[in-house]
Amino acid sequence: MKSRWPIISLYGVLTVASIIWLVPVATATMISILPLDESSKGWWNADFSTVTLANFGRAWQYGLSQYTLNSVIISLVAVALTVTLGTVAAYAFARMSFRLKGTFYFLLITTMIVPVQIILIPLVPMFRTLGFNQGWAQYLGIAFVHTAFGAGWALFMMIGFFSQIPDEVLESARIDGAGEFKAFQKIALPLAIPGIVSFLIIDFVFVWNDLLIGLTVLDSDHRPLTVGLAILQAPHLNQDDLISAGSILAILPPLVLFAILNRYYVRGLFVGSVKG
Amino acid sequence: MTSTVESSRSGDRRAARAHRSHRAAVTPYLFIGPLVLVFAVFYLWPAIATIASSFFRWGILNPWQTQSPADWQFVGISNYGDTLASGDFWNATLNSAIWLVVFPVLVLASSLPLAILIWSTPRGASFFRSVFIVPMTISLAAAGVIWTFIYNPDPNKGLLNAALHLFGLDNASFTLGPLEIHAGHWLSNPGVLHLGFADIRLVNLFIIIPAVWAFAGFGVITFSAGLTSVPDELLDAARVDGAGRIQLIRHVVMPSLRPSVIVVTVISVIFALRTFDIVFVTTGGGPAQDSEVLAMLLWNQVFQFLNSPQGGLSAAIAVLMSVFMIVIAMPYLRATLKGNK
Repeated sequence: MKSRWPIISLYGVLTVASIIWLVPVATATMISILPLDESSKGWWNADFSTVTLANFGRAWQYGLSQYTLNSVIISLVAVALTVTLGTVAAYAFARMSFRLKGTFYFLLITTMIVPVQIILIPLVPMFRTLGFNQGWAQYLGIAFVHTAFGAGWALFMMIGFFSQIPDEVLESARIDGAGEFKAFQKIALPLAIPGIVSFLIIDFVFVWNDLLIGLTVLDSDHRPLTVGLAILQAPHLNQDDLISAGSILAILPPLVLFAILNRYYVRGLFVGSVKG
Repeated sequence: MTSTVESSRSGDRRAARAHRSHRAAVTPYLFIGPLVLVFAVFYLWPAIATIASSFFRWGILNPWQTQSPADWQFVGISNYGDTLASGDFWNATLNSAIWLVVFPVLVLASSLPLAILIWSTPRGASFFRSVFIVPMTISLAAAGVIWTFIYNPDPNKGLLNAALHLFGLDNASFTLGPLEIHAGHWLSNPGVLHLGFADIRLVNLFIIIPAVWAFAGFGVITFSAGLTSVPDELLDAARVDGAGRIQLIRHVVMPSLRPSVIVVTVISVIFALRTFDIVFVTTGGGPAQDSEVLAMLLWNQVFQFLNSPQGGLSAAIAVLMSVFMIVIAMPYLRATLKGNK
């Protein structure tokens, strides 16, 4: 089959599709590095000697610095919590038998399917009751929500990685008198690191990209960058320079992480898909 | 899984094992406890509260508080009745239905051929795959913002209108049977498809396209994974028998991709129903309510007009959405559960 396909048309189609796929990001990049009066003529007509990073500086001062900081804190806390609690729980689901295992698994896995709207409304009064509605506590509150909401994905992905560890390896640790937690910590955890990294990236992308939960449960000083971007996007203000700089800023961290850990990311998604 | 190898051992060791199995009764719960606790407080409880609150009349200024149940007016199922009788609900349902159909179809229609093409390349597969996967890391909020630059109505700024301008089509308006198109203003009023029973607003399509752009990578990855399971011997055998390219794809490749097609469809449907972010940044549900999806109607009702007691109505919508999704995804979920045991 590979030799029969007309190679030129194959690469032709793929190249055209690739260009179509890259044009939106290229457009945003161009607008973000050109002064507003240049990009207003259409970036393809612009004088590229005027290229500048000034838009990023202005967007940063315009308020994106706070939003970016919020996004960083929320993502770090939420991912740390989800990965830690998820890893430990996934190990138990993969390697131990206990009563109500099926019920717990079913309940946790429904978070993958049921729309987030089912929890959204009561979160607001709940945050007030639990004291998560002010100041720094909000970061912790939303991190817990992300943890609960990511529980299904965490189990779905990481159970597979723990199941792959051969029985004998863990058994030898137990015979040596190591407790269950020791066996997990010293043997299973190091072996599952690639799987954990895969989940970590996917969870980071998920949390970093959230708009709806942040918009709903956080006050305006603690909202993430996605919300900041939506606020910049006021249709009647002519500030494409700031908006484009903001959008590039917002897509950069997950993109960099993806570039560095590409292999793990793709692999994580492979696992999720092959199992279904 | 914890059952140890059966063999004759010294009594010493057997005693140790008995001790361990006693401990094992508690240990698993210590492992899952923290996650289950967070899940119970931040997911299960609010989910139950949503269901319970859908039977009451209340607003977000006077929300669900267990301490003061007297402030709440029990209304039975009338929130559901009112919701099902409201024009806003059916308008949002229609827009969500457009998402539920068009989004998965476009994701499949773009990612399946791309994955097969990439699979057929002798070289550069991983480069092309990356190109389509990269937008997956982009939030739908950012994707929406980025595409507003493409859609900019001014042909001097927006690439799409600039391209149409070359053909003199940048402000074309025409009617094709039931289809009415106004080129140019892609995110305000690009046209309508008049079906006898409903008017499909094309603005939804132009919000779906950026979402497909961002999501197609998931399809490409999933199908690439599926394609690795196509048996080489089968391909060779079919080729020896003189099967053409189309036949080969139809009879050998496609059957192995069935599970992947199901995964991509189910996950796209799940995402399509949740849609909020990209509508929020591109049109905010407008013009008027032409692109208001269920998630947005729900949000607007309860959070935008704080003094109106519509919390119960929004909760009812959330419950209806969840029931719908559970029914749709249950067979898939059951298969997944079975696979994991």
